[in-house]
Amino acid sequence: MKSTLRNILHSPRFMVGFVIFMTMVLTVLIYPYFVPRNPLLSLGKGFLPPGTYFSVYDANNAPTFRVELPEADTNRLQNDLPQSDRKLMLDFLKAKGVDTSGLSSGNDKIADLLEAWKANYDEADVKSSKYEGFTTQAKRRALAKLDKKLNDFLSNASMKVIRGEGEDLQEKNVSGTEYTRVDQLANSVSLPLGTDNFGRDTLTELVQATGVSLLIGLIAGTVATLLGLIVGLLAGYVGGLVDDILMFVANIFTVIPGFVLLILIYYSVGQEARGIITCAMVIGLTSWVWTARSVRSQVISLRNRDHVNLSKLSGHSLFRIVTTDILPYIASYVVMAFILQVSSGILAEAQLSLLGLGPKTTEVPTLGLMMNWAKLFGAYTSSNAWWAYFPVILVIALTSFSLNLMNTGLDQVFNPTLRE
Amino acid sequence: MAKKMLEVRQLTTKYITRQREDVYSVDHVSLDIEEGKSLGIAGESGCGKSTLALSLMGYYFPPLHYTSGDIIIDGKNISGLDPDVVRKTVLGSEIAYIPQAAMNALNPTRKIGRFIEDVIRAHELPMDKKQIREMAEQRFALLGLPVDVLDKYSVELSGGMRQRVVIAVSTILNPKVLIADEPSSALDVSSQKMVIKMMKDMMAQGLVKSMIFITHELPLLYNVTDDIMVMYAGQIVERGSAKEMVFDPIHPYSRGLMNSILVPEEGTRDVKLTAIPGTPPNLKHPPSGCRFAERCRYATAACRFNPAAIIDFDIGRQYRCNMSVEKLREVYESEERNS
Amino acid sequence: MTKGMKKYFKKKIIWFLITFVAALILNFILPRLMPGDPVNAIVGKSISSGAPPEQVQQQMEFYRRQFGLDKSLPGQFLDFIKNAFNGTFGVSYSQYPRKVSDIIGGGIWWTIALQLPAILVGWILGNVLGAVAAYKRGFWDKVLMPVSLFFSAIPAFGAAVILLVIFSVNLGIAPANGAYDPGMIPNFSWSFISSVIWHYQLPFWSIVLISIGGQAVGMRSMSIYELNADYVKYSRFLGIKDTKIVRYVFRNAMLPQVTGLAMSIGSMVGGALVAETIFSYPGLGMAMYSAITQSDYPVISATTLIITIMVLLASFMLDIIYAFIDPRVKAAQFD
Repeated sequence: MKSTLRNILHSPRFMVGFVIFMTMVLTVLIYPYFVPRNPLLSLGKGFLPPGTYFSVYDANNAPTFRVELPEADTNRLQNDLPQSDRKLMLDFLKAKGVDTSGLSSGNDKIADLLEAWKANYDEADVKSSKYEGFTTQAKRRALAKLDKKLNDFLSNASMKVIRGEGEDLQEKNVSGTEYTRVDQLANSVSLPLGTDNFGRDTLTELVQATGVSLLIGLIAGTVATLLGLIVGLLAGYVGGLVDDILMFVANIFTVIPGFVLLILIYYSVGQEARGIITCAMVIGLTSWVWTARSVRSQVISLRNRDHVNLSKLSGHSLFRIVTTDILPYIASYVVMAFILQVSSGILAEAQLSLLGLGPKTTEVPTLGLMMNWAKLFGAYTSSNAWWAYFPVILVIALTSFSLNLMNTGLDQVFNPTLRE
Repeated sequence: MAKKMLEVRQLTTKYITRQREDVYSVDHVSLDIEEGKSLGIAGESGCGKSTLALSLMGYYFPPLHYTSGDIIIDGKNISGLDPDVVRKTVLGSEIAYIPQAAMNALNPTRKIGRFIEDVIRAHELPMDKKQIREMAEQRFALLGLPVDVLDKYSVELSGGMRQRVVIAVSTILNPKVLIADEPSSALDVSSQKMVIKMMKDMMAQGLVKSMIFITHELPLLYNVTDDIMVMYAGQIVERGSAKEMVFDPIHPYSRGLMNSILVPEEGTRDVKLTAIPGTPPNLKHPPSGCRFAERCRYATAACRFNPAAIIDFDIGRQYRCNMSVEKLREVYESEERNS
Repeated sequence: MTKGMKKYFKKKIIWFLITFVAALILNFILPRLMPGDPVNAIVGKSISSGAPPEQVQQQMEFYRRQFGLDKSLPGQFLDFIKNAFNGTFGVSYSQYPRKVSDIIGGGIWWTIALQLPAILVGWILGNVLGAVAAYKRGFWDKVLMPVSLFFSAIPAFGAAVILLVIFSVNLGIAPANGAYDPGMIPNFSWSFISSVIWHYQLPFWSIVLISIGGQAVGMRSMSIYELNADYVKYSRFLGIKDTKIVRYVFRNAMLPQVTGLAMSIGSMVGGALVAETIFSYPGLGMAMYSAITQSDYPVISATTLIITIMVLLASFMLDIIYAFIDPRVKAAQFD
């Protein structure tokens, strides 16, 4: 037992599958604590591409404010900008043909000079136009250097933001290198996967849908495996008439495709009763057959083994023989069958929902329902909203990929002959 | 002196594991068989006897690889030949093989007759379909097999019949050497008897010139083969005639093997059955000294460091031990007196 | 024919008939278990809301009679059987008074034309890929197998949607829906046929891609199993050429794969559902889909019955054919 467990943990396939699967499960469990929002809450209208959004209402309702350069910065500029630079600036503006009558290199005019420079200097322009006195490479480089210096200066300067009038006057100094986090703004929302057609946050919806679909897979898988196990055990161990009848039923279930049966049963249940649980149960009820068949054939081969015969001779009850002498031998197989059933249960739900036969619910999404909505509202044709369906496909593929991987890993451990 | 059908000189082959380690499971093995003779190879499972059987074919595919040594069949050295030449001119026609699990050795979806056709075609013999069929029918009749088997699939045959068909197919080209790897161990007693009789008959009729018979069932060897060779950890540890090997084994390992079985002959009644404790060494890391030292009751400290060499000590007899034959005999005698 | 074979076939035929009857009964009963009156829905659609109650009543009576719903359940069953055997399958609810057989007849050829080649191509490509992966090992096996394992995990509708988006919506090199240009009337002109081929691309490749993954994974493990079989080693030591042995191996690995082929041909219509609904291909799957969305029970019953019969026939044929082509099955069954 211990060594089997160790072998399983050493199987790379199993571990890769297991890690992918557990990451998904943990995300489903933890995510709501970070984003406590209702996954089906509508945040906007129609498909919004991924990004961070502000409330449009807030942006339009923002109060007006004035901006001033504080005195201290003007003084600093006066000190840090030497006369030679100011002269260069004036020369350039003259060469470009700007009216420099109101400008001078004096300290009182420095703000105006700066403004004129910013309005007229353009590196590409200087390079192509070759203004008088600035035709050489060195001169042009000097201009570029100066411009950079001024930019650096301005970005390090701070701004005074003034809001309100008279008594309510509020002042705040803001530096050019100060940032605020978008999510600290009131009424902003980050949508890494955009929104769906109803304006719901796709990521939050997807996480919940994954959880619900896993639950459906789990219920369907449990129902199918339990039913298959019981039928297989009875048919295989008891044999005789019981075997014949059970196998007759199983054969009908094989020959009439599960999908057809699913649609028919599902339809006969009626729309109103089609909740998550019903959906899962119906899927489980139509997919037990192959588990039953395989369990049966394994039990038949076990039935006449010595240890089972010994147990029979010792007068042990049927229940005890089955639980202690048969079940442990087919346990590994049942686990593997269960994993596959979970995976196919998730797929079955998705397919049913895509056909419009999914669970009728307005409270929770499922992966299939998300696909169905994406299809109904043209996410992959008219709207081209990849974020509304591609992540869903990816999650479904990853789920079955991880489960299949776990299964092949287990298979290699339990059936060493397959290990090439 | 009779003609040597098979002569093997210092043959060494290795397995390359998936971890790229070399495992020398046939280690400098030399042996020879004369025309009309048969040699038995005995040993526990894992001692390299099945690998020896594969190696003797002179045709290697992964994970088994040829390292060194010669295989000479009827005077022709086949090691070093191009594998495709070996396939065409040696396999099946010069040296033939009967696999361990003969039950599943036949392709389940090919009729026996068609399979024989494939075998003949592979050797590019100038025979048409009809001739091949005639030849197969004659051979089956000669060996006492029903001819209609040729039109059947192997899955339609019983286990014993399948095994006999495999033997017939293997020997259809009258090979000079036949290597049989536990051909009867999976069969019930009566099928076993039939198979053994069939192989003896083939030898007697000269369909097969010589035979190597590998098994862990020593009584079988005593009844079937002329000589017996015992293998341990990829090496030969002792060789002698069947009678000598059963009644006068020298190597402690052979002695252990013989003591662990009963040969229904006079004098064996009083022999006690004793198993050899322990298991063969892992050949990924073979012991540096005598390979049997770990399990040997008589091993001295020196045995663990000094590898034992194979020595001829009598006509047709060899053994591999650090102790002299006289010393070993003495030890055995004193043991018997004390028991 | 041996005695064993006769017994085997007799058993198979009896079994086929019993399941057929069971399928008929299920197809009849299950839709009828559904709550609600289907006639209500049709009358609701066809009559304006302000109509006097007598007229509504009259209409409902009319439709009940038309659909045979005024009869007892056994009577309805007889009708059902009769309609199933004369091939009309009754009248559609949603496209009244069109016959169900017309709806199905219009779709089934599209489905077969789309699915049969796609299934075959997917099966062949998948098996070749799986066999090569098993035989070559190395790159093929290490890289391609996990990749095809992942691709086989992509649900059929997912693959179809991705193809649709890439090639039709974004690249615009293939049409997104339909089986031919909607402005055309089916005929045998060259322009119509080229339009059909043009529309055929995406649904075809979406089916092929999906079947490749699954087949390749299956074929690979079958081939590895066969490559390790005892007969391979034995045949080698008999001097048989490797090329010949590889042929043995792949034949033996391939035979069980035939089951997969036959079953996917049998369940063609069910498999068509996904591809056809996503590409709005006018086949039987699409007919079934619209019947489901419009609660058109006669059409649902008929399509599910057709699927059942096709699967039943496929597995029946398979049993028979297998018994001849694969001696392993023959030996197991006839004793």
